[in-house]
Amino acid sequence: MDFLIDSFLSAVLLIGSLDPGLLQIIGVSLKVSCTSTLIASLLGVPGGFIIAFGRFPMKRLLITILNTLLALPTVVVGLFVYAFISRRGLFGVFDLLYTQKAMIIGQVILIIPIVATFTISAVSRIDDRYRKTALTVGANLLQTAWMIVREARFGIAAAIIAAFGRVIAEVGISMMLGGNVRGFTRTMTTAMALEYDKGQFVLGVALGIALLGVSFGVNLFFNYFQGKVRV
Amino acid sequence: MLYELRNLKKTYDGRTVLDLEQLCLDRGKITSLMGPNGAGKTTLLEIMAFLSGPSSGEVWFEQGKVDFTTEKLIHLRRKVVLVEQQSILFTTRVWKNVAFPLRIRGVPRARQAGMVEELLGLVGMGAFRDARAHKLSGGETQRVAIARGLACFPEVILLDEPTANVDVENQIAIERIIQEINQKKGISVIFTTHNMIQASRLADQTVFLYEGRVARSIYENIFSGYIETDRNGCKQCILQYGLRLDVDSQKSGPVRISIDPGAVKIRRDQSNGSAENTFKGKLIQLTDEQSRVRALVDIGIPLSVLVPKAVFGNLDLGMGAEVWLTCPVESIEVF
Repeated sequence: MDFLIDSFLSAVLLIGSLDPGLLQIIGVSLKVSCTSTLIASLLGVPGGFIIAFGRFPMKRLLITILNTLLALPTVVVGLFVYAFISRRGLFGVFDLLYTQKAMIIGQVILIIPIVATFTISAVSRIDDRYRKTALTVGANLLQTAWMIVREARFGIAAAIIAAFGRVIAEVGISMMLGGNVRGFTRTMTTAMALEYDKGQFVLGVALGIALLGVSFGVNLFFNYFQGKVRV
Repeated sequence: MLYELRNLKKTYDGRTVLDLEQLCLDRGKITSLMGPNGAGKTTLLEIMAFLSGPSSGEVWFEQGKVDFTTEKLIHLRRKVVLVEQQSILFTTRVWKNVAFPLRIRGVPRARQAGMVEELLGLVGMGAFRDARAHKLSGGETQRVAIARGLACFPEVILLDEPTANVDVENQIAIERIIQEINQKKGISVIFTTHNMIQASRLADQTVFLYEGRVARSIYENIFSGYIETDRNGCKQCILQYGLRLDVDSQKSGPVRISIDPGAVKIRRDQSNGSAENTFKGKLIQLTDEQSRVRALVDIGIPLSVLVPKAVFGNLDLGMGAEVWLTCPVESIEVF
């Protein structure tokens, strides 16, 4: 127990001293996670909207598959993407393995089902009168879709928060596709795993605190944003 | 001619909710659509707003046949606006709701503010410009929805029960708006209502719908009952609370009947009361309607009677007076 308290106190000191190594790890984590969340949102929100309102065969099957993919293990995504981007893979020529791009690709695949599923749920619950109102006041299909997304913005924001939480905390994809290269692809979670292997708990705990701090900050931002626009 | 509907049918899951052989509505008029719940009023409004197409038949608007399959529909929608019975406002400020139709029509921002002020002023909601739309009461919401509809500069405004679920003050305000936009702006108004008095006060023409069809009889005094044949072979309709009416119908079993309020005779006493379908009742409501007086008489069921003013004056009746009503068999229509 003492070691945990000692580690915790040392971690607080490490964060307080703004250790460059620590800041670099946090920076890589934020950069990769924010980029993958942004890309997944740009794909998942419209995708979820189209699935929710579109009429096409096997729609229910597609929703069931997306729901199933919510439980997708990160190592499975890691293996899947690895098969394509390793030197012998289909996209091996692009030399993506052990780069931040590879991590982003893996994370996007991981969280698109989250964003899409939550978006389907959010826009499906929006009162149909919003659609009719937008149409009757002369909105075209794109403007009508935008109004529905706007009304569902709290649910969609929740989808993005959940997706960000998933990627900032995942370790499998970052380790398998990023390779935990110091100063380049080392994220908070891969660094924590490494420090655990080395028996160096101080940096591990410090990174754990930083991870929670970052998540708290992001949620605080979204809460502030939601509170500000809710009328 | 504004609208002409020909052999129009609308079905949901095999159930026909609208079946109109022909219906013509004039431009520049106030038209009321009346009928019981489920008569097809809202479905008809949605078709006239080009929000949903008919299952079969034709819709003609301004002498042009409407094609519900093309993307050109947006041009027609921009001429007609529907304000729903329970209007919904976008979750933002009141002024942004009214500005939305202006924005999507590309009205410059500088002009939007003045137009929003004017429209909110027209519906008496100028003081609520910056209010949160979802904090408004039902009546206020309805008035803002009308202002938003007017921001579309429509040729036609369709109002689905605009005064349902609003208090008297807001009802008066909405009725005033309907008259103003028709008279000052020349906008054709088509509204649905259950309120006969409101319809006769506001509308130039009234269409009665019953079970998806245009009803020949006046939509009033409609009751559910049961037809059975008595010992003498005469048909009688037994209404709620056991009230029996002689009817002329081939039907039997459960039916609905309507009694023409203009054909019901009203007297102070039972002289000549030997006639069939004569009932004693109590006068419970009187309404002045242009050349006639509408009397609501409680005969076990509330029955509306329309009496010419001169006739009513001779009767010298006051509220609560005991009266005798006679409903001639010809005044009763069986559905």
